[in-house]
Parts: sequence; C-alpha cells; structure tokens
Amino acid sequence: MDGVAQLKKRLADYTTSLYDEGYLDDQFVQLQQLQDESNPEFVVEVVSLFFQDSQRLLSELAKALEQQSVDFRKVDAYVHQLKGSSSSIGAQRVQRACISFRNYCDDQNIEGCLKCLQQLKNEYSLMKNKLETLFKLEQQLLEAGG
Amino acid sequence: MASQLKRVCKRISDFCNSCERNQSPSGSRRTFHRDVEPEEFQYASSHCLSSYYSVFVVRLAIMVMLAILIGLLTLLTWHFTRVYTAKSLENLAFALRYELLQRPILRMWNILNSTVEITTAQVKLSEVVIRRYSKPVDQAQQVELYEVMRDVTWALFASRRALNAITINYRNGFVQAFHRDHRSNNTFYIYSDLVNYSISGAYDTNNLSSRGGWSDQSIHNNTTASWYREPLDPATGERIGKPRKIPPDELINIAGISQVPDGAASWHVAVSKYTDSPLLSVALPVWDDANGSIVAVVGVTTALYSVGRLMKELVEFHSGHIYLTSQEGWLLATSTNAPLLMNSTTEPKLMRPTNSEDPVIRMGAELLMRQFGNKFPPNHEVHVENARLGHQLYYIDSFFLDLKRLPMVGVIIIPRKYVMGKVDERAFKTLVILISAASCILVIGCICIFILTNGVSKEMKLRAELISHLDARRKAEASSNYKSQFLANMSHELRTPMAAVMGLLDILMCDDYLTNEQFATITQIRKCSTALLRLLNNILDLSKVESGKLVLEESEFDLGRELEGLVDMFSVQCINHNVETVLDLSDDMPRLVQGDSARLVQIFANLISNSIKFTTSGYIVLRGWCEKPNTCSNTRKFPHNGKESWNTHKRNLKQYARHENKVILWFEVDDTGCGIDPSKWESVFESFEQADPSTTRTHGGTGLGLCIVRTLVNKMGGEIKVVKKNGPGTLMQLYMHLSTPADTIGKHCQLKFTEHNLMVLLALNGRMGRLIMSQWLQKNDVFTWEASEWNELTQILQEIFQAKSYAEPRESSKVECLSKQKGKDSIFLVVVDIGLLDLNTDIWREQLNFLNKYSGKAMFAWILNHDTSNTVKLELRSKGHLLMVNRPLYKSKMMQILEAVVKEKNVELQQKLNASKTTTKEEGDLHVCLEMDPIRYDAASSDDSDKSPSACPSQSDTVNNCLDSNFTPNDQNHTRSNFCENSKSLELSCCSSKVVNGQKSLEGLRILLAEDTPVLQRVATIMLQKLGASVVVVGDGMQAVDALSALENDSARNETKIGECPLYDLILMDCQMPKMDGYEATKAIRKSELETRSHIPIVALTAHAMSSDEAKCLEVGMDAYLTKPIDCKLMVSTILSLTRRNAKPLLEAT
Repeated sequence: MDGVAQLKKRLADYTTSLYDEGYLDDQFVQLQQLQDESNPEFVVEVVSLFFQDSQRLLSELAKALEQQSVDFRKVDAYVHQLKGSSSSIGAQRVQRACISFRNYCDDQNIEGCLKCLQQLKNEYSLMKNKLETLFKLEQQLLEAGG
Repeated sequence: MASQLKRVCKRISDFCNSCERNQSPSGSRRTFHRDVEPEEFQYASSHCLSSYYSVFVVRLAIMVMLAILIGLLTLLTWHFTRVYTAKSLENLAFALRYELLQRPILRMWNILNSTVEITTAQVKLSEVVIRRYSKPVDQAQQVELYEVMRDVTWALFASRRALNAITINYRNGFVQAFHRDHRSNNTFYIYSDLVNYSISGAYDTNNLSSRGGWSDQSIHNNTTASWYREPLDPATGERIGKPRKIPPDELINIAGISQVPDGAASWHVAVSKYTDSPLLSVALPVWDDANGSIVAVVGVTTALYSVGRLMKELVEFHSGHIYLTSQEGWLLATSTNAPLLMNSTTEPKLMRPTNSEDPVIRMGAELLMRQFGNKFPPNHEVHVENARLGHQLYYIDSFFLDLKRLPMVGVIIIPRKYVMGKVDERAFKTLVILISAASCILVIGCICIFILTNGVSKEMKLRAELISHLDARRKAEASSNYKSQFLANMSHELRTPMAAVMGLLDILMCDDYLTNEQFATITQIRKCSTALLRLLNNILDLSKVESGKLVLEESEFDLGRELEGLVDMFSVQCINHNVETVLDLSDDMPRLVQGDSARLVQIFANLISNSIKFTTSGYIVLRGWCEKPNTCSNTRKFPHNGKESWNTHKRNLKQYARHENKVILWFEVDDTGCGIDPSKWESVFESFEQADPSTTRTHGGTGLGLCIVRTLVNKMGGEIKVVKKNGPGTLMQLYMHLSTPADTIGKHCQLKFTEHNLMVLLALNGRMGRLIMSQWLQKNDVFTWEASEWNELTQILQEIFQAKSYAEPRESSKVECLSKQKGKDSIFLVVVDIGLLDLNTDIWREQLNFLNKYSGKAMFAWILNHDTSNTVKLELRSKGHLLMVNRPLYKSKMMQILEAVVKEKNVELQQKLNASKTTTKEEGDLHVCLEMDPIRYDAASSDDSDKSPSACPSQSDTVNNCLDSNFTPNDQNHTRSNFCENSKSLELSCCSSKVVNGQKSLEGLRILLAEDTPVLQRVATIMLQKLGASVVVVGDGMQAVDALSALENDSARNETKIGECPLYDLILMDCQMPKMDGYEATKAIRKSELETRSHIPIVALTAHAMSSDEAKCLEVGMDAYLTKPIDCKLMVSTILSLTRRNAKPLLEAT
C-alpha cells in the first residue's frame, strides 16, 4: 500500500512539475477529464496519435525545408497543423515553438525556420519523453493496484 | 606668360575636379536622404557631421575660386593696359631714337658732302690755275701763280665758314693754307718760304716715277723750310698782321702726296693742337692733264664740332646722350661737353668712347663692349633695352652709317624714364589700384559667400535634425508596432489563464456542496475575473484599434437587457459611494438591435465607470432614446442646449436614413460629479489623456477608457461629445447607428396596466430614480405617489387608506381619482426601498409590523441592497413580503413586478373562485423567480466577455422553462416553513439543471466534424460524444462537402422518410485543411444549399485568434467561430444556440 501511495505521490509530483515547467497546460486536464469508463485509454490514445502525426509532420517539414526553393505556404500549413494538434493535447511548449516558427515563415526566413525546426524537434522529443514517463508511471500505478 | 597661364588653368581645373569630388558624395547622400531608405538612417548621424564639414569645405572652395577669379582678372587687366601701351610706346620710342640719331648723322653727311664739294672745287680751280701757269718761266710767274692760287683758295675758304682749313701742297713742296681757329675766331694764312723751292727742281719729270721728293718726310723734316703765318681779317682776307714764322706742321695738317697714294680722294679723321674736336680731313690730288701727274694735293679739314653742337641741341631737348664713332671705334662727336681728345704728352689723340669722361657714355660704351666685344652684328645695328647704367635704365641703340671711306657708328643712349617714365608710373599706380580693388572685392565676396551659405548651412543643420527626428519617429513607430505585435501575440497567452480561472470558478459554482455564502463569494470572484478579463480586453482592444484590426460584430442582441445588466453591475459599486445609478430608456427604443453587443456594453461600461469614479454623491443617469431617421420630429426633445451643435450631424443622419431599418440611438450619461473643464472637452477623448493630471493620483485609471469609447462610437457610425450641463457634473451625449430587425420595432410595452387599475406608491431613497420611474409610470397611466423616507411613506399610506376607509375626498384630486377607482377593484402596490427601514437598530421590525397592517389592502415589493442580510430577507418572507428585487429599479424590473402583481391578483381571484388552499406557494415561486433575476443578468453580462451573446437567450430560456415546470402544481405539499430550503434547493436545482444540460446538453445532436489533425479529431470527438452528440468525422473539406451532398442525395431519395429534417444538425469545420480548406468547403456547402433553401449551422474551428479571422469566417457563411484549443463550455453554448435557433421552427412546425 505504501508503494502505491509513493507511486501516487510521484505521479502527482511529476504531473505538477510538468504543469509548472510549462510542458502542459489545462488542455491536458480537459483531455484527462474526457477519459472515463467508456474510453479508458483515451489520453494515451490521443497522445500517441499526436506523436504519430507530429513525427510525420516533422519529417515533412524537414523535407520541405531541404528543398532548393522552399514552399513557405506548405511549411506554414504543416506548422499550423502541428500547432493545432499540440495545442489540443496541451503541449504548450511545442505550440509556442510553432508560433515562432510561423512568424519566421511569414518573414520567409529560411535560417530562422531551420532553427525553429530544430527547436521544435527538441521540444517535441522532450515532450515525448515527458509524456512517456508520465504514462509509464500511470501504468506502474495501475499495475501496483491503484 | 602663356606657360604661366597654362599653369594657372591647370591649377584651376585641378581645383574644380577636387571640388566636384568633394561635392559628389554629398550630392549622392542627399538623394539617399530624399528616398529615406530605412537602412540609411543608421548612417544619418555620421552624415550630419560630415555635412557640416562639407559645407565648410564648399564654402572655402567657393572663396578660393573667387579669389583666383579676381586675381586673374586683375592680372589680365594690368597686363593688357601695361603691355599694349608699353609696346606702342616702345615702337614710338624706337622711331624717335632712330630719328634722333639720324639727324646728327645727316649733319655729318652734309658736312662730309660740303667738304667734298669744296675740295673738289678747289681741285678743279687749282687745275685750271695751274694749267695756265704750267710752264712757269721765272720766279715772278711762279709767284703770280701762287698769288692766284691764294686768291682762289681764299674765295673758297671764305665761302664756307665751317671749314677749318684748306691746304694746297704743291709738288715742289710749297704750301699754301688757310686756317681758321674757331675758338679764337682768327683766320690765318700759312705759307712756306718760297726761297727754298726751285721751280725746275721741283717739277722734274724724272722724279715722277719715284715719289721720294713728295714724301711727307721731305716736308716735315725739311728743317730748312720756313713757314709763315699771317693773320687775316676773317671777312675780307686782308692781311691784318705781320707774318710770323712758325714751325712747319705746327698748326695744321698739311695734306701731302702720301694721303692720296692712288690718286683718289682720301678721308680721315685728324686731330689738331688747336681744336679740341676731331677734324675731318679730305685730300685730293690735282692732276696735270698734260702728263697725267699730280701737281698738287689739296686738303680740306672740317671741324666736327657742329655735329656735336647739333647733338647737344637734340639732347637738351630730348635728354639722353648721343655719340658718333668711327668704325675703328674712335670717338668723333658726343652730345656732351666732355673733351673728345686725349691729351697725351706729345699731342692730342683721338679717344675711345670707353675712355670718355662722361660717365653715361662710358658706361654705355662699356656695356656694348661687354655684350658684343668687337663682334658687332654685320650692320652694326644694336638695340639694347633696359640697360642699367648707374642707377637708371636706358635704351641703347647704335646705327651704322656706311660712308665711303669713313664708315661711322652712331650710338644713342636715352634714359628709359624719358620714354617710359609716365607709363611705368601709371602702370605702377594701376597695379596698386587694381590690387587694392581686387582685395576689396575679395573680402566683400567672401563675406557675401559666408552670409549666403550661412542659410544653406542652417538648412543643412535643420535637415540633419529632421532626419534624426524622422529616425526617432520611425523607431518610435517600430516600437509601437512591436508593442501592438506583442499585445496581439499576448492576447492568447493572457486570455488562457483567465479562461482557466473562470472555467474553474464555473466548475466550483456547479458544485453541490457549497453554502450560500460560498456561492455568493464565488459569484463575486467570477464577476471580478470577468472585470479583469474586460480590462485585458480593453488593453487588447486599444492595441487592436491602433493596428486597425478591430472589426465589429454584427449580431442581434437585446439592447435593454444588456444595459440593465450593466446598470445592475455598477449599482453595486455605487451603493458604497452613495450614488444612485439610474437607467432611463425611452419606450420607443427597439428591443432587439443588430450590432456588436460586447462593444456597446464596453462603451457604456467605460462611460459609467468613468462617471462613478468622479461622482461622490448624487446620481448617474444613463438615458437612451431613439430617433428614427424617417421621422424628423423627435419623440423626445433634447434636454439641453447642445442641440444646435448636433444639427450638422443630423443632416448626415438624414442621408443615412435611406438605409432601411437603421435607427439612430441617442444616449447620454449624466452625472453629478466634479465635471470637466470646457477646454478639455475634446482632449479627454485622446489616448492616455485625463482632464486633470492629478486624476491618476486620486482616482487611478489609465486614460484609455474614453479613447476606446470614442473609437468604438466612431466605428459604429456615431459621435460622442461632452455637452454643457446646467447643474454640476458632466453630460456626455453620443449617438450611433444600429440596424434593427424590422419586425421587432414597437413590440415592447404591450402590457396595458390601465386595465388593471394599478396604483403605485414609490417609496425610494434615490430622488432621480424615483422621479424617472414615476414619470414613466404616469405616462403609462399608472397613478403614483412618491415618498423619500419612512415618515412620508407612513403619512401617505395613512392618508390613502383613511381616505379609503372614510370615503372622504381630501385635497388631492389624485386621491379622489383613486377613490373613484377604488370601487373598481384596483391593485395598490407599494414599492419600498429597504434603505427606508432603519436597519441599524431593531426598529425595522416594528416598521415591518406597521406595514403588515396594510398587507391585505396593498401589495408590497421590496428593493433590496446586495448586502441586505439574510435575517432581513427571512423576516420579510415570513411577513409575506415575497416580491423582492435587487437594486436598482428600472423599467423592466418594474414591469416584472407589475406583471407578478397582476398575475398574483388573477391567481388570487382564481383561487377565490376555485376556493383553492394557499396562495403562498406560487408566491414563493414568484419570489424565486424574481430573486434569480439579477443573477441571471449578471451571468448574461459576464458571458458577454466570452463573446457569446447568443448564449443568453438559451440560458434565460432554460430558466424560464425551469420556472414553468416549477409552476405546475406537482409539489403542493410544500409548507411555508420550508421556504428557505425550498428556495435554495430551487436555486440549486436551477444550477444543477444547467450543469446537467451542459453535460448532456447535446443529446441527440448529429454533428459532422471536419478536421484533419488526428489529435484534434479524437479530442473533439470524445468531447462531443461525452456531451451526448453523435459525431461523424471527416478528414478534409472535400469529404465534408461530399458527406453533405451524399446526404442531400439521400434525403432527396428518402424524402418521404426523413422529411425536412437533415442528417446533421451542425458542422464543426476546421479552417485549415488539406485539399479543401474550411472556407472553401463552407462556400461550397452554402452554394449547394441555395437550391434546397436549408441552412446547416457551420462553426469554424481555428487556431487564429484574431477577430479579422472571425470576420473572414463569417464572411464565407459560417455561423460561429471557435478557437483552438476547444473550450468545452463555449463550444456547448455555441452549438446549443445554433441548433436551438434551428430547432425552434422545426418544433413549431411539428
């Protein structure tokens, strides 16, 4: 029982740290609220969807920016999508990176875009790690009988 | 000279080039400045500095150029004046010198000629005479010959006074000579002794070949020969003295045979002891025709002093010096008195000019000697100009006179001063004058340049300043842009936490376990956060307005309700200030108008909060009336004299009137505050402007409010200004154009109170509110009394009911009227302000008891304060005073009260008729209803900030429905004692029903979700499903259109089955999607809908948070607009409002 309590505490701490450090915002809370008996794996499902989608978008973006003549409208559209999906799961740091990315996109600044893409990738992998850790913790809690 | 000129030219051209080089960069700079390239501004400051230098350099360059120009002019002038005169004068001078020299030479020539003539004549005569006496036979004949010869010779000698001597040297050695001494003016005859000469011996023909006997030797060394000299009278030639013996050749040169060696005439210059000038002597032989031998030699000598005299005369007149020399260089004649001969020990000798005693001549001769030596040019002509002799400059010219046997050289030395003296002097003067004039002009020119370019340099300075100002302005604009950009970017970040706070509060409010107090506190917090959000929005609005991004919504809303909510909100603040807030809307105001409700509320919120800030006591009235453009006569007169100033606007309004359904709404906000100084009436509407700088200290505020108000009013096609007011305080008038739905005009105030014989006693604290309310009631044929305090109230009550009981008409005609109507079963309503009761002590209970006496005869309605304690409320309820409303009292509340009263009366009547049990329960419901009212309005007004005005009708509908359902006699077994719990539970049930509605509020709705992002797809789907809706998801706009068209086809096929009802109730449309974006899809859907005349609500889902995006969404035909991330509540309310509107006609149809 102690283990469960400890795990619960760790989970709670971790979650708060995620909020405090600005990785997540209240949108994630809403997401968690939507999870109930009918959709027990809703959050994980959505987040993994997000991961898949983001992975695709990031590779598309990298491809688009490698082109000789960059199609900024296309890049912009990709970033916009990424922004929408990241904001929907509450990954606000990714979302912020997207916003600055779009500003560079509007200026047609390739260097800035590349920099932002790098930043976006970093944020994304960070986010992914954090969320995976979170899910692992939850999983552990579940297995421990929470 | 030419080379100098060339040099000067080169220098000038160099200078010009350097000038151009200097100027060209500044010129290019200038063009840059004109273009005002933004990048250039960084260099502007350095340009400023260098432009100063360039001005300086240019100035200097111009000055130097001027100096050079003037210098050149001076030089040229001087040169031309000087050189031309000098040249012409020199020519003249040369001619003069030549002429001068020519004359002595001519004289010399004359002398020579005459000498030659005399000699020739003497020779011819001698020949004749000698021929006659060619054969002298004896001494006597010989003597006779000599006598004749003497006479002939005298005659010739006398005829030429210039002659010095004539000598005849006969073959035999006899000599005859006449000599004239010019110095002593004596004339002598000189002859040799005849004794020594034999005639025979002398003329030996044998000796002809050898000329020994004829040698000079024989004469000169002939010591035996004796010479005699006898003086003669110069005029007659007679002897005047005795002959004296003199040594031979003592006096004169006797020309001998040696001087005519070849028998031709010979010339030479000789000297004599007795003359100080050289003599020209000519010798000619006398030939004997018979044997061709020379019989005698005739010699003539002429003194050259006349030439010298002539020279002297010339020189006296012209100054200068002249001298003649023989070719060998012996001095013949000079223009001076200096001796021409050198006195050696033995005899005088000819001298060279270099030895002359006259210094000028000597020096001139030396100079010539030095320059030419003995190598004179072939013609001996030499011209030396500016020869320096001593201290003076001289012209030296020598001319060569080529006389046969006696070539001569004439030299003339004329001082330069004589010829050119004046010219040189003039030239010097001219030069001085020119130089001084030039320097004057230069100085003046430099000053002029300085003065003239001063303006230019000032202009440059100003320009530099202007550039720096431009730079600064650009920076300021850029920073302002950054600010706007920042605010725009911040808008999302700022709103998100606020949304979270408010959302959490909403969740809290829905909590079942809250006490009443907690609930009230939370409501208060909710209100405050709403206000904070409003403030945020204000700031963001300003940035939006500044960046020109503000777009007004165009939606239908209830104007009256919005304003009432506003007044409700502010009245809470006003109570503390002892200020009453009054809303006075005229009855002709349209209920529903089209426009941006949030902005409208913002306008009045700003104005009222502004008024509250400055009003410490008195009232704040928000008046509103309507002016329909087609009716020129206003239903209401302007209360103040600001009318004229608005006339111009009215003219505009008439033009505006062509649009249908447009109304002009006039409002004024009137307060009794400190007022605004008339000079500030315009400026208070400026950004960050406050009437009094101390305002910030005492009242706070940013000065943004009125600026936003004016901007918004102008956007709504209106105008705002401060108008003069009679009393203290401020009166702001504004008007705006709003369109109204045509059918709603004049739909209000249908209730006819006259039918019910209403009579109202207004016992209210606030004077203004009471006055306005009673005026309005009287206009609607309701009799009113007014009371401002408790005593007055009791008095009136007593009067009325005494009059009623005693049926005794009193002084007031009103009472009479009343008493007449009393008969007709009228309703008497007393509206009592809770403030009239004395709540500090326990007196209020007694006061209530007192009022209770009238409870049967009159109905009571209470105006509560927000802070009225629950005990008072409970007491009131226990006394049966169930009509309670919160402050302030305005028309719609009054109307509700009246309606409630009328309804109650009817119910009472019914109950009387039906003999039913209690009336209390329905009253309880009513009480709930009315007490819920303010909360409802607060909720509505707070929802405005969330931009969902369309949500309020639905909510009020729910409340009404709730009331209706409660009104059914289901729970009749409730007792009066349970009222408290009852009311509370009812409140809670209302709330919970709201929540339940919220959670399953979308039950049965079919929603098509067009969203490409899988994450969002999933989230939105779950969200909607949780709310009870069934969701169909498509990945892009194309699919959405396809889904709809398929549906339409289906519906066309299955028309009979489905009927009018479409498959989807609503579409949630993401704006940015692959293949076909939301805008395109919406357009396509709306196009296809044209045929079927149906209208599916489409809600945009976008991550763009700007209202321009909203405008774009609405433009393409979407009905509403939601931002990502999806706010659940907002989505629900939006969806509900849209589907409800659609559902209603369907329901009505069914």
